[in-house]
Amino acid sequence: MFSQFSQIGRDLFVQGVNSSHSGNMSVRQGDRLVITRRGSMLHNLKESDLIETGLDKNDSHIALASTEVGVHRSIYKNTSALAIVHAHPVYATALSLVQDEIIPIDSEGQYLLHRIPVIGFEHTVGSEEVARVLPDFLKEYKIVMVRGHGSFAVGQLLEEAYQWTSSLENICKIIYLTRTLNGEIKESKGKHYDKW
Amino acid sequence: MNGWTGRILRINLTEQKVNIEEPDFESYLSFLGGRGLGCQILWQEVGPRVDPLSPANKLVFLTGPLTGARVPTSGRFTVTSKSPLTGTVFDSNSGGIWGARLKKAGYDGLIVEGKAERPVYIVINEKEAVIKDAGRLWGLNVPDTTGTIAAAEGTGYSVACIGPAGENRVKISCIMNDNTRALGRGGLGAVMGSKLLKAIAVKGSRKIDPAQPDKLEFVLYETNKWIKANPITSQGLPEFGTPVLVNLFNECGIFPSYNFQQSQFTDAYYVSGEAVAEKILVGKKGCYGCPIKCTRLTRTSRDSGEGPEYESIWALGPECGISDLEAVAEAGYLCNRLGLDTISVGVTIGCAMEMAEKKMIEADIRFGDASRMCSLVEDIAYRRGLGRELGEGSRNFARKHGGERFAMQVKGLELPAYDPRGVQGMGLGFATSNRGGCHLRAYMVGPEILGIPKMVDRFSVEGKAGLTIFYQNVNAAMDSLIICRFMGLAVSEEYFARLLSAVTGVNFQPQDLHIIGERIWNLERMYNLREGLSSADDTLPERLLREPVKNGPARGRVVELDRMLEDYYKFRGWDVSGIPTQKKLSELGLEVI
Repeated sequence: MFSQFSQIGRDLFVQGVNSSHSGNMSVRQGDRLVITRRGSMLHNLKESDLIETGLDKNDSHIALASTEVGVHRSIYKNTSALAIVHAHPVYATALSLVQDEIIPIDSEGQYLLHRIPVIGFEHTVGSEEVARVLPDFLKEYKIVMVRGHGSFAVGQLLEEAYQWTSSLENICKIIYLTRTLNGEIKESKGKHYDKW
Repeated sequence: MNGWTGRILRINLTEQKVNIEEPDFESYLSFLGGRGLGCQILWQEVGPRVDPLSPANKLVFLTGPLTGARVPTSGRFTVTSKSPLTGTVFDSNSGGIWGARLKKAGYDGLIVEGKAERPVYIVINEKEAVIKDAGRLWGLNVPDTTGTIAAAEGTGYSVACIGPAGENRVKISCIMNDNTRALGRGGLGAVMGSKLLKAIAVKGSRKIDPAQPDKLEFVLYETNKWIKANPITSQGLPEFGTPVLVNLFNECGIFPSYNFQQSQFTDAYYVSGEAVAEKILVGKKGCYGCPIKCTRLTRTSRDSGEGPEYESIWALGPECGISDLEAVAEAGYLCNRLGLDTISVGVTIGCAMEMAEKKMIEADIRFGDASRMCSLVEDIAYRRGLGRELGEGSRNFARKHGGERFAMQVKGLELPAYDPRGVQGMGLGFATSNRGGCHLRAYMVGPEILGIPKMVDRFSVEGKAGLTIFYQNVNAAMDSLIICRFMGLAVSEEYFARLLSAVTGVNFQPQDLHIIGERIWNLERMYNLREGLSSADDTLPERLLREPVKNGPARGRVVELDRMLEDYYKFRGWDVSGIPTQKKLSELGLEVI
């Protein structure tokens, strides 16, 4: 399990969707979850950076767990997810500040994600409100954006949740780049995805 | 003036006089309050070689500029005195509500000096401060004293008092406030007892207005966001209290047992935060203005009370080879009622257990004997039998029987629940602490185990001198504001400086707090040097320096103190003998000393 966390943690950083100490990941194991340590560097994880704690019940390891452990728990308890990746993708975060949803305009994005909801909260870090609201969206979508904060992606494997995170950032880069080109998009297939 | 009232009571028990003094504003700016201002007052007023239990010693009770403001965890106050246990300058701080009430009565603090002819207590409210006869209180335990004063003085009073241990001048006795909060360490209860001062009751309801309410509102909003977001302050401590650390530290191999002969405890789970929550927890409570609420209300099959918290569980449990949670909790209740420091009591008993095991003393005492441990707690408070010797603290006890190496103490203060062989910075922190073996001066388990603010290699000595100094300075400032160490788990000095600025209206930058902290640290050092301490006292028990850990994650380790200490003195701007240079003192505005 450590190698999986370690490899994906490094890839998230290399792709630029996390800064040095941001983001967190977890996997569910029955009524337990394994989550990255609060403040750990995902691109340079050590075995002691993986913290196991209860899904419903706290134990002493809670003191070391990621700040977002409450959101991870809530997602597991309310969805069928077995893995979660939380990242701070730059382009997606920028777009989340000016849009209420992100609709892919590129082909891969349209095939894979179709629509990414953007949800705003007063408190966005370690927030009970995020923990309460987010799972409902993740029952329907693979990945959602918390406005101005970052993405939460779910999957059956860490790799899957990583893929949605990586795709989202590509989607947003393409949207950003096409806007800077100031040209008219010749053929848009994305217009109905707001109904997704 | 906001943040401070600008008034300090001076109560002379010999002359039965009460005066109000107004410290100069420069002292507040240089030392803030609490620990810092207390040290300055002690430096000026309690000269070298004063017997700590004589009338010439003083007790300085102080709040800080944040005490009683709406800042989380800011209900705290400090007592500073010369310790009968260590012979050093010694401050202890406590939560509850006493500190906030003193500030709301209109005072930043009070200096108690001299000695009464017969037992007395002091009553302070917004109108007056009076000395009253405490004849009928003498001999009572802490809850009975508190209850009797409440009944006599009426509602709204908060009481700080000593129990029988303080009256009997036991050197490991403490001052208790609000029934169950403790100014635990250093034997300050004995100083109060030596003055025949049983209690101080305070009542006050003045509004404390911040200088910049809008700014305070905003910084509080940002501060509370982090307290709520951080799993330690929002989940770990509220749900399990400080015993949340038991299993964590045991797994890391830094949870000493059997008088530090081992660095793990096989039955740690039975005294863990989880076990407390499952077996004896009946409620939770917080100090004034505290959203974390780490206090445990517990009930055993025979008794009930507050606690036990992490250090008490360890000292009265694994340190003595005991895993009976009910017995540990009951011994803790007893310490609270009698007014004893749970850490020093447990470690001193653990020391005696090992010496008995090694046939260095003849006593009916052995590791794991919970019932004997509980009876010894009473014996210590009432100075009976073996308890009379144990009440002198582990250093004095072990020295008397030729076994000083079995006393797990630094400068006479018993070590807390961390085996520094697995956390090197903690070892340096213990050795250099100005009040002896204290975990709170540097609290290096923050970066070394909890990853706050960042994780560092706990087994390495590289960079530990600089980090230890950094936290010693910041924590000295925190102890002068005064806020609880747990606030520092969620937010940094950047927030403390902004809170302080908003409350006082004086612009403090984070760097100012570092400098104030460094000033306090150096003044404390100078006080101790004046008392005759030297670099030879910046050391650890032989066991931690020469006996490698036998098992667990820290196996084979000792504290590599020499490698860190040299850097420590150099980085502090001290000479090789650990004496602050004139240049350093001038830099800190301490040239007059």
